[in-house]
Amino acid sequence: MNAVVFDIALTAYIVAAAAALASLVWRRDGLSRLGRELTVGGWLCHTAAIVLRGLELRRAPVLTLAEVVSLVIWLAVLLDLLVERRYGVSTLSAFILPVVLALGLGLPTGLRDLALEPRAGSAWILVHVALVLVGLSALVLNFGSAIMYLLQERQLKARRPGTFYYRMPSLETLDRLTLMTLTAAFPFLTVGLALGFVRAGRAWGRDLVGDPLALFSLVMWLVYAATLSGRVIGHWRGRRAAYFSIAGFCVLLATLGAGVLFQGRHGS
Amino acid sequence: MIERLFVAGLSHRTAPIAVREQLVVDEDKLREILADLTGRGTCAEVMIVSTCNRVEVYGVAEVAGEARGAAFRLMGAHRGIGLPTLEPLLYSMDGAEAVHHAFRVASSLDSMVLGEPQILGQVKDAFALAQSCRTVGPVLHSLMSQAFAVAKRVRSDTEVGRHAVSVSFAAVELARKIFDGLDGRSVLLVGAGEMGELAARHFQDHGTLPVFVANRTAGRAQALARDLAGTAVPFEDLFSVMGQVDIVITSTAAGEVIVPAGEVARILPGRRGRPLFFIDISVPRNVDPAVNDLENVFVYDVDDLRSVVEANLRERKRQAQQAESLVEREVAKFADRLRSLEVVPTIVSLREKLEEIRKAELGRTLARLPGADEETRQALEALSQGIVNKILHAPTVKLRDSSKAGHGHRWIEVISELFGLGGKSRGGPAA
Repeated sequence: MNAVVFDIALTAYIVAAAAALASLVWRRDGLSRLGRELTVGGWLCHTAAIVLRGLELRRAPVLTLAEVVSLVIWLAVLLDLLVERRYGVSTLSAFILPVVLALGLGLPTGLRDLALEPRAGSAWILVHVALVLVGLSALVLNFGSAIMYLLQERQLKARRPGTFYYRMPSLETLDRLTLMTLTAAFPFLTVGLALGFVRAGRAWGRDLVGDPLALFSLVMWLVYAATLSGRVIGHWRGRRAAYFSIAGFCVLLATLGAGVLFQGRHGS
Repeated sequence: MIERLFVAGLSHRTAPIAVREQLVVDEDKLREILADLTGRGTCAEVMIVSTCNRVEVYGVAEVAGEARGAAFRLMGAHRGIGLPTLEPLLYSMDGAEAVHHAFRVASSLDSMVLGEPQILGQVKDAFALAQSCRTVGPVLHSLMSQAFAVAKRVRSDTEVGRHAVSVSFAAVELARKIFDGLDGRSVLLVGAGEMGELAARHFQDHGTLPVFVANRTAGRAQALARDLAGTAVPFEDLFSVMGQVDIVITSTAAGEVIVPAGEVARILPGRRGRPLFFIDISVPRNVDPAVNDLENVFVYDVDDLRSVVEANLRERKRQAQQAESLVEREVAKFADRLRSLEVVPTIVSLREKLEEIRKAELGRTLARLPGADEETRQALEALSQGIVNKILHAPTVKLRDSSKAGHGHRWIEVISELFGLGGKSRGGPAA
């Protein structure tokens, strides 16, 4: 049952993404409204799917990689809707939804059965997972706004208004959004990962070094830490900061990929 | 009566400026012409829109061609242009097409600069003038109030009027794409060129702080700073001030680069990544084009601003398609309403006629019944009213339905003949 509802949600997201992209290209308010309504509808279905899954399995639905990715999507879509509303950036979803979909569509094939150390389903693990996934969903927004920044900056530098020029927000707004999402994500990511490392170090001992998910997570954290310190200490703004955010997200995707491909202790 | 609505005129699409300027007439003359057209009975209602881009007569007349000829003969006579010269340049439309044209004109979809806002005001003025001359009747009144409403919707629901179509306003709009709002931003104006001053004023109108003015001649800088309520800064401090501000407008007659990339690169570290926007209005250019390659710095020269304006015009055209379909929907709605109005006078006079008969007959009956008590009187009153209402029902429904189907005038004639309503009902409210 939860799988069916999840598929409905995913379908709504797909159509919403198409509408959001089309509204950006053809500049039609009707399309952007349709996109938003479908996003809200999809998100409600998604919420139902998560609750149903928890009820059917009689446990918190955060213990497989598939479940974690599903929650990251759920939170990212929620954040997207909130940010659009708060800052009037109606084009954000055109960049967030495709990313979310890429993650979501990866689920049925590789990730669905992968369990994250189900025996260790203690409170520690739940907190570790919850913190990391809040961080990851904010980073999805960070990536989306960085892409938007680069597109808009390119159009302004080229001095010829292009397709996206009319509907995109100002560079400063986008830069602020990139900084804000990174600042929000980083503490969650840091504490979440630290908890994971401490806990796994005790439980697994030397095996921790060989766990690909743990290893990639560390690299990802380092890239984001570098980006944030560059922004705070080095006063990076604009393009350079956006490039670093995108690099960080690539490592994030690689981390998820590594979690699927090489099953270390995380997936045993 | 929608069939008798017409518009005739010429515009920038059909007539050269040489002809249009000949037809410009002052308000007093327009009053005379309006009075003449209605006074002789050529038009039942009439108004004239006269701007530098169009001269159009909107009216209600039995013979539209005659009204059109009379109107333009009167306007041409003013400067001695005969009707034969004007005739080939005139277009005319009637009925729903005239409604369509009126809506498009008021919404600025027929303007030379698509979406320019002045035309709506000009049409409103023309309407007010005709109203003061008492040449506006119910048809023009409902046509124009609807045209104004449609124009407002086009403005708010589509982007036809958005996106700057002048160079100095395009600069303001670009700044809005770089900065998160213009409130409290600071502007440095270099040079005393007229265009630069205009752009600086535009920025101040949109919330930027008082400008800094730098000029090679200190006295000139001070005078300009006074004019703009800004602050003059010594020309030697140009780059240190540039390090602080958000927007730099250059408009000098220097004829050479006064802002080299090297100097700008030197001030960038102190800015900590805050964007810097150069608007270079001078020709030859004052800002080294290589400055645009620096991080977080944007340089637009006059050509760049013009190409933004062109892109904006193209964007307005794209958005105009949406506005056109909005207008078409409104025309259909309006034509329906106007048609339903045409049967109203017939329904009213039919009701009046029957009411007259009822009252007379009731009076006669009651006179013959002096002993009737209040209860009987009331019963008779109710009975007669009931009969009249029942009789009225079928023809009323028939009239309304036929007007919706577009052949109301036939039934108006039939019912007028049958009930002997006389000439009163024929004309409709326009007469």
